[in-house]
Amino acid sequence: MSPTDQNSQASDLSTTPHTSVDADNESTTHFGYKTIEKDDKISMVAGVFHSVAKQYDVMNDLMSFGIHRLWKRFTIDASGVRPGNKVLDLAGGTGDLTAKFSKLVGREGKVILADINSSMLNVGRDKLRDKGLVQNIEYVQANAEYLPFEENTFDIVTIAFGLRNVTDKDKALRSIYSVLKPGGRLLVLEFSKPEHELLNKAYDFYSFNILPKMGELVAKDGESYQYLAESIRMHPDQETLKDMMEKAGFEQTSFKNLTGGVVALHKGYKF
Amino acid sequence: MKPSNNQADTQLSKQLSNQLSTQFGTKLSDSLLLPQVATATLELIINKALSLNNKSLSFATVAQKTLMLELAELSFPLCFTVDNTSSPVVIIVRSTIECSDCSIKTSVSTLKKLKANQSLTQLIKQDELDVSGDIKIAQQFANIAQSLEIDWQTELAKHLGDVPTHKLLQFGNKITKSLLATGKQLEADISEYLVHEKRLVVTSSQINAFNQQTKDAASKVDSLSARIDKLVANIAGKQ
Ligand SMILES: C[S@@+](CC[C@H](N)C(=O)[O-])C[C@H]1O[C@@H](n2cnc3c(N)ncnc32)[C@H](O)[C@@H]1O
Repeated sequence: MSPTDQNSQASDLSTTPHTSVDADNESTTHFGYKTIEKDDKISMVAGVFHSVAKQYDVMNDLMSFGIHRLWKRFTIDASGVRPGNKVLDLAGGTGDLTAKFSKLVGREGKVILADINSSMLNVGRDKLRDKGLVQNIEYVQANAEYLPFEENTFDIVTIAFGLRNVTDKDKALRSIYSVLKPGGRLLVLEFSKPEHELLNKAYDFYSFNILPKMGELVAKDGESYQYLAESIRMHPDQETLKDMMEKAGFEQTSFKNLTGGVVALHKGYKF
Repeated sequence: MKPSNNQADTQLSKQLSNQLSTQFGTKLSDSLLLPQVATATLELIINKALSLNNKSLSFATVAQKTLMLELAELSFPLCFTVDNTSSPVVIIVRSTIECSDCSIKTSVSTLKKLKANQSLTQLIKQDELDVSGDIKIAQQFANIAQSLEIDWQTELAKHLGDVPTHKLLQFGNKITKSLLATGKQLEADISEYLVHEKRLVVTSSQINAFNQQTKDAASKVDSLSARIDKLVANIAGKQ
């Protein structure tokens, strides 16, 4: 499977909305606080990430005061990655986790950076190539709900700050479960619900007053950052996500709150 | 009837401990991300030293191998992995109990002796170092560490100030410095933080005070936000 093969196989998923095959589900979903048709979510999320791709890394550092790097380090530490492992960095965007995994799986291992959005993948690919990371990384444009990999392929799947953008999260979790090897683990790093009411307030205030302003000033894109703040609030809280993982088949599920629950890392195994 | 402050406090404490029990690894240092601050800093220092090094170093026996270091003074392990998949060779530092090829249990004072060129085997014989796993890996890591001649005190002082995230962890600065310089102080600092954090969590009168402060801050930010709007409009006007 070469990177170019994969890319040419994938249609431009980011601009072609998928028709939902979940007949018994309602036809609407959330886009931040807005309720929209499910079929429209992919293209609207794509719009956000096409728009922020170039400024994504700078904004990430700025918005989280650089703490996202520590959250990602924590994820790598919890992954138990070993030389020779096959890792899927799903919704991997500009490839921060991929870069670290690539160094840890070694020549015998493989890391696949998968994202639905071609702009994010391109920024990621350029960044990793500039860092000289070419040996063991493949780039695949794919929707988390319909992963184009064989069953039982990966030792580790990570999805960092990606799941909340996915239209049908349950379907994505089932799809991830299927591509994990027995014994493999899923790590979901995502914004979550702060543990303390007072932190919650400070955080709300920051997200809705400061963050969109920063987006406007730095990335000239306040709207996308307003979406970001809203999508975080609409994302399932810690316990709900844990339940969702269990429903998708994951076992020994647990989560760890980071920075007071602003972010949580969920872990689950396929046995 | 409104619950008394005490009742409310107990309820909140219960809630908190329930929340904690479903989490994996409930250590406070974890949620403060101290291990990650420490490993990020060490990684920076070691790889800077590697890039400046002009002695010939052999990585063959340790390529893609991981050494775990458990220091008596630290509540978390440090893992060092040599990555030679791309050039130059780099050392990745993590904090994980999984996947080491060799592990050493020791203390900071023994590491200082190692740095002063006492041999690994001497220290093992003196029971100052406990090695399990492939000892050749420990030996080679020790050789690399000795050749790099890092002035830890200066480097740590310099880089801890540089890690931007670290400045923003409210209590991180204080805790991390003691963590890396005088490890023993760590537990004391953590209990101090714990007391402080607990106080924040459980006292409802403080929550009320905070609410008031939030309102005050909100009105200040409203005016700040109006100024930013103006600024954005000005910039847009000039472009
Ligand atoms: C906030 S970014 C996170 C990027 C990276 N993982 C990180 O932590 O820096 C979210 C990413 O999720 C991707 N994404 C959104 N919906 C997706 C889907 N259905 N399948 C795969 N990726 C998706 C976006 O294109 C974007 O690159």
